[in-house]
Amino acid sequence: MSIIRLALPNRGRGGSGLALAMPAVLLLLAFFVIPVAMLLLRSITEPEPGLQNYAALVGSPTYAKVFLNTFFVAGIVTLITVLIAFPVAWALTIMPRPWAAVIFAIIILSMWTNLLARTYAWMVLLQQTGLINRILISIGIIDQPLQLTNNLIGVTIGMVYIMLPFMILPLLGVIRKIDPSILQAAALCGATRWQALTRVLLPLATPGIASGGLMVFVMSLGYFVTPSLLGGTANMMLAELIAQQVQSLVNWGMGGAAAFILLVVTLGLYAVQLRFFEAREGTR
Amino acid sequence: MTTPFLHINGLRKVYGNVVATDHVELAISKGEFMTFLGPSGSGKSTTLYILAGFQDPTAGDILLQGRSLLSTPSHKRNIGMVFQRYTLFPHLSVGENVAFPLRVRRAGKDEIDRKVKKALKLVRLDGFEDRMPANMSGGQQQRVALARALVYDPPVLLMDEPLSALDKKLREEIQFEIRRIHQETGVTILYVTHDQEEALRLSDRIAIFNKGKIEQVGTGPELYANPATHFVADFIGDSAFLGGELAAIADDRATLRFADGEVLAGVPLHGTGTAGDKAELMLRPERIELAAGPGREGATLPVVVEDVTFLGNNSTVTARTGWGDALTVRLNFGHPMIGSVARGDRLHVQWQPKDAHVFVKP
Repeated sequence: MSIIRLALPNRGRGGSGLALAMPAVLLLLAFFVIPVAMLLLRSITEPEPGLQNYAALVGSPTYAKVFLNTFFVAGIVTLITVLIAFPVAWALTIMPRPWAAVIFAIIILSMWTNLLARTYAWMVLLQQTGLINRILISIGIIDQPLQLTNNLIGVTIGMVYIMLPFMILPLLGVIRKIDPSILQAAALCGATRWQALTRVLLPLATPGIASGGLMVFVMSLGYFVTPSLLGGTANMMLAELIAQQVQSLVNWGMGGAAAFILLVVTLGLYAVQLRFFEAREGTR
Repeated sequence: MTTPFLHINGLRKVYGNVVATDHVELAISKGEFMTFLGPSGSGKSTTLYILAGFQDPTAGDILLQGRSLLSTPSHKRNIGMVFQRYTLFPHLSVGENVAFPLRVRRAGKDEIDRKVKKALKLVRLDGFEDRMPANMSGGQQQRVALARALVYDPPVLLMDEPLSALDKKLREEIQFEIRRIHQETGVTILYVTHDQEEALRLSDRIAIFNKGKIEQVGTGPELYANPATHFVADFIGDSAFLGGELAAIADDRATLRFADGEVLAGVPLHGTGTAGDKAELMLRPERIELAAGPGREGATLPVVVEDVTFLGNNSTVTARTGWGDALTVRLNFGHPMIGSVARGDRLHVQWQPKDAHVFVKP
């Protein structure tokens, strides 16, 4: 008797739970799953059925360079962002509260400022007669202005700037949870500052580095505005290629294939992260 | 005079305009268990942190075997420490936590294995090498912390209220373990606590801290029998304080006049004062006798019983003097008056003058 009485409400709740999730499921289906499926379909049916779009993307040196540019820039951007964000997050953790709040607000505000405005600002700063070149020349480090726009250097600088908050925020979340007395303990155990950093602080911050790194890397792979404004036409990245194929050439098949490859890579990276870090959380 | 093993020499620490410790002076022998006892903010932890190298003193010095430690950074002091909070490295197993001090010292693999095993055996956690700290109880974590602090054979072990996060029963169990480990290793221990019972149970000597200064240093029995100040008397053990004024002083004995005119002679005096100064009489509850009428020997005072509490092995009687000061009397189980004493009874308390102490009020 009691088993039945216990079981019935449970089953009822399960049914109503599914009903409650229906709007979300329908929304996802209508606006994400179906369009992606259609894109995939077009990539293997246009202009004619087959995998020739994928073969072209993988086989041609032009497209290979686009993939190389994309992964290279995303990788470098991720690396530089980690190197900058880690000390920033640590400083925000240990500095006096009011100061940390001000700097945190500045970081968040930069995120909320219009992306185009920020990218144009970098174009102005980085151009041949821009502020950065003029300062470098006036203090005598260089004689000739450096070429900082219309190449991957400009793209990298602009992207690092835009991606920094996405790295700082998850890192801050992890680092704030580390008890500072753990580092005092490490010091008394005989660890130098470097050993405390590499053997204690970095391992404890790794989940934050991994989730921030994944976010920055994936966002960088598909970024459009900054590469197209700061990179110039000679250094095309994947998002630009997709835009060009769809908008200028109206080649949905090729655009769809490139977008699908991007999606698969992203999901693959996400799966790797889930496997390594969720599993580790589980054993704790 | 021989050089003390560890010498805390005129230590002073000022934060802004707050004096955290003031002229703390202490000589500690090798192998001694010394406890810093005091309320929070009394400077005991600050002194410990200066020893650990987390803070620099404003003035004074710390000498280990005659050599100053101040210019040596924390990681080169070779001092062990167990913290108030659990400070095991959460990403490392128990074995790796204990091995950590040896790894950063670049010890060989055999030495690490041997010493980690020995240290874990010392804290009775052999076989726990592969456990993660998060899967252990608070008491076990503090024992691992103890093993980690002792694995490199430091000459001095600092302990900063290591048991304050544990419940009472577990605390007593680990206190016993700490005593055993102290005896087995012979390490010099500096222990900070605000718990007088813990201090009495563990220490060879206790330094009582108050407002950044050491009020008195001594063994538990010395501090209990001969408190130097009102603060020490109040902090170690229960005591009653009866207000009065000094009537006369002869040598180190005082004559005290209470508010109702009662006069008491021959009480040991602490501090200096002159006739007419305000003073307090300190009495330990187990030194006071309760009687129906005034006794013939010793000192006696009429009191009114306010409350009687049965506590198992004894009953505590709270009574008030004619001028309103409260005192407690402890009647051991089996005392003839248990059962007959009741609230409102007019009785007398008696004690031997030598068992009381007079403190001159500043």
